[in-house]
Amino acid sequence: MIARGERRFGLLLAAPALLVLGAVTLYPVAHVLALSLQRRVPIFGVADWVGLANYAFLTRDPAFWNAARVTVVFVIASVAVELALGVAVALALHRQQRWRAIALALLLLPWCLPGVVTARTFEWIYHPTSGLAGAVARRLGAGAPNWLGDPSLSLAALIAADVWRTMPFVALLCYARLLGIPGEVYEAATVDGAGRAATLRAITLPLLAPVLLMVALFRTLDALRAFDLMFVLTGGGPAATTETLALFAYRSLFQTLHLGYGAAVSTVVFVLVGATATLYLAAGRADATR
Amino acid sequence: MPGERDPLPALLREFERLHPGVTVQAEALPWTADVQHQFFVINLEGRSAGFDVLMLDVIWVAEFARAGWILDLSDRFDAAARAEHFPSTITAATLNGRVWAVPWVMNVGLLYYRRDLLARRGWAAPTTYEELARQALALRGEGGIREGFLWQGKQYEGLVVNVLESFWALGTDVLGPSGDVLPDPALAAAALAQRRAFITDGVSPALVTAADEEVSRREFGAGAAVFLRNWPYALALFEAPASPVRGRVAITALPGGGALGGAHLAINAATRYPTQAWELVRFLTRPEAQRRIGDAVGLHPTRPALFESPALLSIFRGARARPVTPWYQTLSATLQPELSAAITGVKPPARALDDARGRLRYLLLP
Repeated sequence: MIARGERRFGLLLAAPALLVLGAVTLYPVAHVLALSLQRRVPIFGVADWVGLANYAFLTRDPAFWNAARVTVVFVIASVAVELALGVAVALALHRQQRWRAIALALLLLPWCLPGVVTARTFEWIYHPTSGLAGAVARRLGAGAPNWLGDPSLSLAALIAADVWRTMPFVALLCYARLLGIPGEVYEAATVDGAGRAATLRAITLPLLAPVLLMVALFRTLDALRAFDLMFVLTGGGPAATTETLALFAYRSLFQTLHLGYGAAVSTVVFVLVGATATLYLAAGRADATR
Repeated sequence: MPGERDPLPALLREFERLHPGVTVQAEALPWTADVQHQFFVINLEGRSAGFDVLMLDVIWVAEFARAGWILDLSDRFDAAARAEHFPSTITAATLNGRVWAVPWVMNVGLLYYRRDLLARRGWAAPTTYEELARQALALRGEGGIREGFLWQGKQYEGLVVNVLESFWALGTDVLGPSGDVLPDPALAAAALAQRRAFITDGVSPALVTAADEEVSRREFGAGAAVFLRNWPYALALFEAPASPVRGRVAITALPGGGALGGAHLAINAATRYPTQAWELVRFLTRPEAQRRIGDAVGLHPTRPALFESPALLSIFRGARARPVTPWYQTLSATLQPELSAAITGVKPPARALDDARGRLRYLLLP
């Protein structure tokens, strides 16, 4: 039991931190919520309370639903591929004896590049007539794909760029966890006659699970606010097939200055991110108590 | 202002010599139009008097005027002075019958074509998009010519410009005279369907749906196409000594006229020196200054009197302003994805335009 005086003293000590936290989180959240209930275009002096009109329009705005769909597809596909590739690369690194340091350094490179630099690099890779990806496709006899101008390819092209950039993050964290698994566990498995597949399924993956869950949480939240690649590479096009919710909100908030509608979109993103994080954390707790 | 031989510093020093006691400080703006726009929004909405004279894209004048950020120049910039500029540049500077900016440098969309290829068939430059398509299809495949007509179809402002030019060729526009959105939906859909047909019929390559000015300029400059829609800056590049198309390119007006681009000068409403600021605007928009600035940045003067080439003069005379409305940013940002959906075949043109209109009905306010 902590004495009441001591608890009060503790609260007093924590007060400045709580105050700052409140100021930088609660206040902006409340402000955005209030904005989303207004029709607000400050540069023209437009500021009317419209209740839930922005949300009502949002439910029937095809552009919003398109952005929501693009975001969900982007999140699921990019995170799934990043996790699968990341684990594979971590396992390969773990088995690798020679050149491991160099492999690690190379792996880190894409992750170190600023997002805009990555995007500019891929702009050249996907260049319609002189890009590397096009040259490879032609060599393979696949014609000359119009990576960023074909609505059926553009999102996949951006997912590939995102995987290239963030897979190393997954690989490194998994690799670190693999280093922490004692060798005796594997020796025991071998003694018991477990093959490689059985060892992977029964030992490696379960021991990796907590790290994977954390990594998946980070990557999902990151992917939910994906912006830089699409902003630089496609501007959300073609046909808005790469327009994520973050880019959609940016257009409302910063480009066309419809702050009310933009705030409504941001609120939806906020709820989506919050719900996703909560789900992951609940899964983590369930995993820990198991 | 880009370019190695930036004439602006010398012009500003000259202005200072002519106006003792006044010093002018030039401030470089961010490179892209979007970021420039943001810079102005932040500074002008904050009523900052950090600068007195500003250079603005022609499509921003109405927005800045309605926001109360720039001074009404109607009385200082009188009818006689306005008449010295191309009418389209004055249209772009006018909102509610008042003039808010002075035309500075000008751009206009035009049609580049391979003079040698057309001459071989004895053809004149096309005056309609239908004729252009026929010529492109006929010449494609001849002597290393892979493509017919190149234009800008990436989802960005350039796409809006290209489609507007098609609208104008059919006699319609995005905004009607009373501000109604897409006054002739059928004509607009027909113009958009024609752009889509360019791609499906092979008049234009699929790559135009991801092409901006530079992608299309390089392709044409490499000698791969018959026609290119672009701005005047590309001509000097096509005529450069190492250019594969040197001496084989000619220009003509786009059917229906090309879109007006370029920059105007306006005065910050929060300025403490309106008189001196006006003197500076007048000084920088004089014929001599316009010519020097234009030469340096690959743009042109806004004064017909300064044009020596009759061909260029007639193309510039045919320039048309994009819709002059304070809501241009919203209009364009809403149209971009829908126009892109139509030219890539994701949506039928009529539905794409309907969707855009539905959104604009909610977003545009009187």
